[in-house]
Amino acid sequence: MSRNSLKWLPAIVVPAVVVAAVIAVPFQAGAAVDLPDKTPEQVLLLVNDSTVSTFSGTVSQSSDLGLPTLDLSAGMTTSMQKSVTESMPEGASDVVSGTSATGALSTALELLSGSHEFRVYVGGENKSRVQIKDRMAERDVVHNGNDVWLYDSKSNAATHVSVPTDLAGTAESKFAELKSLVPTDLSTPAQVADRFLSELDPSTTVSVGTDARVAGRSVYQLVLTPKTADSLVASVSIAVDSETGLPVQVVVMAEGQSAPALQVGFTALDFAAPDADRFDFVPPADAMVTEQALPARPDHASGDHAGAQSPTAAELPRVTGSGWSSIVEVPAVAVPAELGNNPLIDQLTTGVDGGRALTTSLMTVFLATDGRVFAGAVPLAQLQAAAE
Amino acid sequence: MSSSDALPATGRSDIPVRRGGGWDLLGSEISVLFRRRRTWAMLVAVALIPVLLAVAVRLSSSTLAPGEGPPFLDRVTQNGLFVGFTAMVVAIPLFLPLTIGVVAGDTIAGEAGLGTLRYLLVAPAGRVRLLLVKYAGAALFCLVATLTLTVSGTLIGAALFPVGPVTLLSGDTISVTESLVRSLLVAAYVTVSLLGLSMIGLFISTLTDVPVGAMAATIVVSVVAQILDVIPQLSWLHPWLFSHYWLGFADLLRQPLDFSSFGQNAIVQVCYLAVFGALAYSRFVTKDILS
Repeated sequence: MSRNSLKWLPAIVVPAVVVAAVIAVPFQAGAAVDLPDKTPEQVLLLVNDSTVSTFSGTVSQSSDLGLPTLDLSAGMTTSMQKSVTESMPEGASDVVSGTSATGALSTALELLSGSHEFRVYVGGENKSRVQIKDRMAERDVVHNGNDVWLYDSKSNAATHVSVPTDLAGTAESKFAELKSLVPTDLSTPAQVADRFLSELDPSTTVSVGTDARVAGRSVYQLVLTPKTADSLVASVSIAVDSETGLPVQVVVMAEGQSAPALQVGFTALDFAAPDADRFDFVPPADAMVTEQALPARPDHASGDHAGAQSPTAAELPRVTGSGWSSIVEVPAVAVPAELGNNPLIDQLTTGVDGGRALTTSLMTVFLATDGRVFAGAVPLAQLQAAAE
Repeated sequence: MSSSDALPATGRSDIPVRRGGGWDLLGSEISVLFRRRRTWAMLVAVALIPVLLAVAVRLSSSTLAPGEGPPFLDRVTQNGLFVGFTAMVVAIPLFLPLTIGVVAGDTIAGEAGLGTLRYLLVAPAGRVRLLLVKYAGAALFCLVATLTLTVSGTLIGAALFPVGPVTLLSGDTISVTESLVRSLLVAAYVTVSLLGLSMIGLFISTLTDVPVGAMAATIVVSVVAQILDVIPQLSWLHPWLFSHYWLGFADLLRQPLDFSSFGQNAIVQVCYLAVFGALAYSRFVTKDILS
């Protein structure tokens, strides 16, 4: 009998070992890291002095915004997707991927829910490739010099955008503008760090959090905490590689939520230069190729999102408030008509006093009955107050 | 893990056995498995999946819009090499697990049901060795089934449609030869994917003397795992379900080749092999063999 019970030992030990390993391995990967202490300025300087121009890696992005899970790409027909794309507010693509292009708009909506994985290749200036890994499909954005290619494997469609050199210039200045919000790898003057911090000072507490490990790299964590109590954002932490100064992860925490509201970070990172032919995109012979010229003429009536290059003053969004509690007001004329009667919008929003509202853990959007749209990282009541 | 635990035990109990006894047993197991009419019927059915797909697409007058139907189906008319990939996507959720369930569920329970298990163990085989041989047979069937699907898909695709350079998911184009290599990689991926389920089937098979019960239970387990995989509330469990990475072979159709899901899949399958291998070992060596 004891012999028999001994023979049952593997049946107990092996599963226990497997379960222990499954639990222990992720913990080991996040084992305590101790780096020499740095002040926020020094971490910012590290970012500024970063000379990384080539790398490749896997980025995983997940969000928990309290939105209903929408599998937009799977559940919708192409025409539906197109209508959603067209009804997206201008500039949403800039926020999401930094590549103002057709596919990016529908991507924006999709990225608001669920998690995604990307493969990123950067081979120096003006050479980059992002692959969005979908289930049994993939979307690619290839940027090489003045050419930008978008490829969607599901529809087997490729879009070619030639970026004029002067536009590349404006994009760069825009990028520099964005960079002051989110530190990125570029060789900007060191004083920027100081200025950045002093500008942030009235609204934000900047500190260096506990050292950690992201994608196998030891990182400093720059934590931005809003000073105002009005904001829905609890904190933003940016993980900066301690060796190269490359920001490798951004985590946004929302007020009153323990899981990150938004998390984008590398899961694997390699600083070797990717193969040059990674950036030479030749569309497949059987693919539908669309040429898209940039900049396009402003053409609001057709809902052309490439259009609004030079909106008039009345159409420009207005920003009220400051810092983390600022509110963006989009005048009714600038809001695409489709937004009002889109069934998807109806589904996403709930009726509230004076209009409809979309509430997420990080952001609130308020569609006033008069057609104006208010958005901000603040509670709904403040948007309603701003609408009055 | 289980095998390293188990092997010394076998060695001890089988000292009088001549060397190579295990290989003889494996050989006879494989020849019995592949001479069975049931095995052939299942392999023919597996081979028919791409044939049916290809013929249906060929005869149909309507062209599919990109993205319509199962993945890659709309590409089939332009390039026959996609038949194999589409067939694999179609066969993975139900048909391949079904055949694996039949083979793996039959391993021990089938012998017990026929009353031959006793004689197999009377012959100087040893229970651990029998278990290993039975598992090897089931694993070989996984490989043969996926290869059958791949080969039949490639052949029927080449017969009915033009064949040319293949467009990968990333939009890059690879040569026919390279695409055949990728097909084999996909077959290897799917084979690895099914190894965990085979071990579960082997374990279930040691629990009963009724082979049909073990087969059905194995298939049910595979269906349940896939149902659990789509319940969002259980997302913490998903990466550890043996079926979670089954469709992850799409990563082998990207450029550059992405082996990350191959690795994750392999790790999950090894975990299942260890756990259910240990369970099957403990159950089988303590089992009272009455038939």
